[in-house]
Amino acid sequence: MIFRLICCALAIALGLTAARAQDSVAPLQSLLQANADAVANPSRSTVDGLVAALLDSDLPGVPVFLERWRDRGVYLRSSDGLFYYATKAEGGYALVDVDTGQDAGQAESADMSELRPNAGVRRVIGSALVAFQLLDDDPARRLAALDAIDRSPSEDQLEPLRLSIAAEPDPVLQARKIRLERLLSARFAETPAERIAAIESLEGDLGVDARAVLNLILTSAPAVFAELPTDRNIAAVLEPGTDALSEVEAYTRLVEAGFAPPLTGVATIKDALIAAMDGDAVAGIPVASLSTDAAREAAYDALAATGAVPPLVTLDDQAMALAAHRFVLLYAEPDPAITAAAAATLEAIEFKVGLNQAADLALDGLSLASIYFLAAIGLAITFGVMGVINMAHGEFIMMGAYTGYVVQLFIPDYTLSLLLALPLAFAVTFAAGVAMERLVIRWLYHRPLETLLATFGISIALQQLAKNIFGTQARPLTSPDWLSGTLTFNEVVSISMIRVAIFVLALMFLGLLIYILKRTRLGLEVRAVTQNPGMAASMGINPDRINMLTFGLGSGIAGIAGVAIGLYAKVTSEMGADYIVQSFMTVVVGGVGNVWGTLAGATLIGFLQKGIEFLNPSNTLAAQTYMILFIILFIQFRPKGIIALKGRAAGD
Amino acid sequence: MNRSFIARNPSVLWFLLALSVFTVAVTLMSEVTGVGLISTSFVKTLGKTLCLCLIAIAMDVVWGYCGILSLGHFAFFGLGGYAIGMWLMYARTELIVVESLANAPLPPTETEVTDAIATQIFGVVGSSEFPLIWAFSHSLTLQLLMVVLVPGLLALVFGWLAFRSRVTGVYLSILTQAMTLALSLYLFQNDSGLRGNNGLSGLQNIPGLDAVPQSVISIAFFWASALALGLGYVLFAWIVSGKMGSVIRAIRDNESRVRFLGYHVESYKLFVFTLTAIVAAIAGALYYPQAGIINPAEIAPIASIYLAVWVAIGGRGRLYGAVIGAAFVSLLSSWFTGGSAPAVNLGFYTINWTDWWLVLLGLSFVAVTLFFPKGIGGLFDLIVLKPVADRQGDYGPDKGAWRREEGEP
Repeated sequence: MIFRLICCALAIALGLTAARAQDSVAPLQSLLQANADAVANPSRSTVDGLVAALLDSDLPGVPVFLERWRDRGVYLRSSDGLFYYATKAEGGYALVDVDTGQDAGQAESADMSELRPNAGVRRVIGSALVAFQLLDDDPARRLAALDAIDRSPSEDQLEPLRLSIAAEPDPVLQARKIRLERLLSARFAETPAERIAAIESLEGDLGVDARAVLNLILTSAPAVFAELPTDRNIAAVLEPGTDALSEVEAYTRLVEAGFAPPLTGVATIKDALIAAMDGDAVAGIPVASLSTDAAREAAYDALAATGAVPPLVTLDDQAMALAAHRFVLLYAEPDPAITAAAAATLEAIEFKVGLNQAADLALDGLSLASIYFLAAIGLAITFGVMGVINMAHGEFIMMGAYTGYVVQLFIPDYTLSLLLALPLAFAVTFAAGVAMERLVIRWLYHRPLETLLATFGISIALQQLAKNIFGTQARPLTSPDWLSGTLTFNEVVSISMIRVAIFVLALMFLGLLIYILKRTRLGLEVRAVTQNPGMAASMGINPDRINMLTFGLGSGIAGIAGVAIGLYAKVTSEMGADYIVQSFMTVVVGGVGNVWGTLAGATLIGFLQKGIEFLNPSNTLAAQTYMILFIILFIQFRPKGIIALKGRAAGD
Repeated sequence: MNRSFIARNPSVLWFLLALSVFTVAVTLMSEVTGVGLISTSFVKTLGKTLCLCLIAIAMDVVWGYCGILSLGHFAFFGLGGYAIGMWLMYARTELIVVESLANAPLPPTETEVTDAIATQIFGVVGSSEFPLIWAFSHSLTLQLLMVVLVPGLLALVFGWLAFRSRVTGVYLSILTQAMTLALSLYLFQNDSGLRGNNGLSGLQNIPGLDAVPQSVISIAFFWASALALGLGYVLFAWIVSGKMGSVIRAIRDNESRVRFLGYHVESYKLFVFTLTAIVAAIAGALYYPQAGIINPAEIAPIASIYLAVWVAIGGRGRLYGAVIGAAFVSLLSSWFTGGSAPAVNLGFYTINWTDWWLVLLGLSFVAVTLFFPKGIGGLFDLIVLKPVADRQGDYGPDKGAWRREEGEP
């Protein structure tokens, strides 16, 4: 209801303005003429009054005029002393009337002079314009005005912003205006009470700009005093020699403040000695003997005694000077109540941000864990069932990714090609796995170390083969549009859709594998062969067939993992090698021959890696190093992995 | 049974003879000391190959004799190289720095010299201070000690942790691979104190020997490498021939049985693991001054796997097999990848060996494991009548009891 009333009032006001405009032929021009000098040669002292007069006039042409004025589009014609909007045209300028906006003919170049408001004036004009833009009918322009405030907030925007909130019809924009008003009030409101209220209202706000505003309020600068002042807003008292302020830094501040002479450093001594060198001696001391710092100091002392250089300032002098002064951080904001409120609010926000970051980190860890799970589960199956380490597993991942790439070459529709690539990658790597098992691995069943080496031979051959076919540069595997966005929970917590998709894929495979192993005939036979191949064979199970199928299944899942990994990382011939060691770690840490073990291993490693990266963000190499060290130690305490099979199921 | 060591191991004599003939032949054919048939760079390649042969016999002892498939011995090789490289780099930079500071108006203080050296060495990684690990780099003696101590200690600690928790078989292989991966990743960092991925360079310039041409230095290192290989061969042959050798082979064939017989298996394994690591480090310390540069990529897991490839192709469980494998595969590899192998034109496709060599190596590796488990060294069985009872089961640890009927022809 109130909103409607305000709208009515506005409409009436506008109507009145229009009516008054018709009274005079050129009201804006005449207003400008009244202040002709201030318009033509604006300065910081005159512009405020002029802008206020223009705003008070409520003329419809004022916003356009202010905009043109700011952008140097207003010209003064010297022949009649009138102001025009002018643009360069052939043989001079094309003129536009300031009131009507109609074409006002042509003018000679010599006749026109451009109005050039300086930067300070333009800023004043700009903030006056904001007031108009905030009330503009076009929501896009209002949004642009808000963005402008966001970019460069200033004190004079607060008033227009407050006035515009009530008139805002769009609820989204209104919410944003209210939030901006809080941010501006926190810094620029007139009374401390208002500012404190605004600051406290920011509590729980996760936006980066809210924290930026609070940090601005809490800006502090170092200062040094002989006695602690009581009338200043002190943020902290710093002790020299602590982490916050090293002794060297503290002394530098003293020197800069003029409270102490600079330390006579090694370089200063050296320069002074060189400058005072007299043949082969300095102050009577032979140069050749000056090869230690002590000898040089002695020579400098001798020089100082002659008065050629200022006396030596030593570390003892530094310590005394440091003890005689107090080092503090001073808030730029003089009111302690405001800084206290800001500090408390910031702390509350930081805590909440910390919680959310933990949630974000957990999401990252989860997605990394699902990638490791996908990469490792195939390996875990073959290792668990057959006791065979497949070093070429990484290359099967690569094969799957290249299959996806080739499918995309033929089918341009990304969604369709992805749906086709998944089963195709499975088929290709399943076939490759079965072929490898038949040709190589089954001859080496009782020699696990040799299997490791033979599959490694296959791995380098496959890797080089991929290099020969696809080249060394990375190939893209483009994800469809519906996978390219991010899932955003709030300003801190977000995750890319691809990672969500990989998580879902990992969950699906977890379910599928559990189903196959626990509910199907094949799974029963696989478990039987895992536990005791000899007994299984005498029960009528063909271990050869089971081994072949298991190996194919494990390899096929590697192919699918390859498509998934290729979607978020580039496809190269070496991508498999990047995952193979991690996959082994996952299997070994989790415990062999057990889907749940692999899941636990992948979760542990994924979260651990993200955690270490969080603690040491600049250095992923160090993160990997520490993780491997952790795993080596972990194996010491649980050699059989997190979930160790016990009793007969263990198979030994 | 009291035959002498040589009588029990005639191959040692033959090997030493072949090695001396080879060394003398290369010396006589080199540029400085001979007729100049072999270029200096090829002498260096041969010297490096001898070092690779040395680490290969170390690998053969730990894998072929003791059954521990270590995929991390190149880490020790690299550490040895880094240890000697630190001294080479420090000493040479010191000479340069002292020379340039000699013209300064004041005689330099010790700190000035050290700072200048640090700036020279670490400027490339944006640092100008010596990390703690360079504390001994000024002294050749201490640094030579480091060549042995650092890899030895690492192997001792790692081996003790791994063997005492009875990590065996493929688990152990993966664990050693993880160790070397962790080490190389660590060294790749700029703040590891060893110049990150720049590594140490200019190692071919021996401090104080600027006047001596590289052709002479290369022959000297060639001789040193040959000597080290000869000594290493005798040492390992002695270790694996006696009673201890029997225990070590028994551990390979059936670890628990040896344990039940009352031997402390872990100690034997730890001894072999650490000793071979030290020999690998010495090989590295001889290799990298000839190579001239060492960086963390050298100790990536793949290098250790190639080491296993050499030993497998050469023939496990016999020392000369490892030497043959390392020399044959590494020389062949540099021949193929160097682009000197002729391309094969198939009509529809030309096989370029720089592209296809790895494919060939991988497949031949599979073929060797499948069809010739004894490797190239197995060919010697055709000419030497070997009493079968001397050794059984060439095929690694676990289920060793099955080997006889499976493996012996």
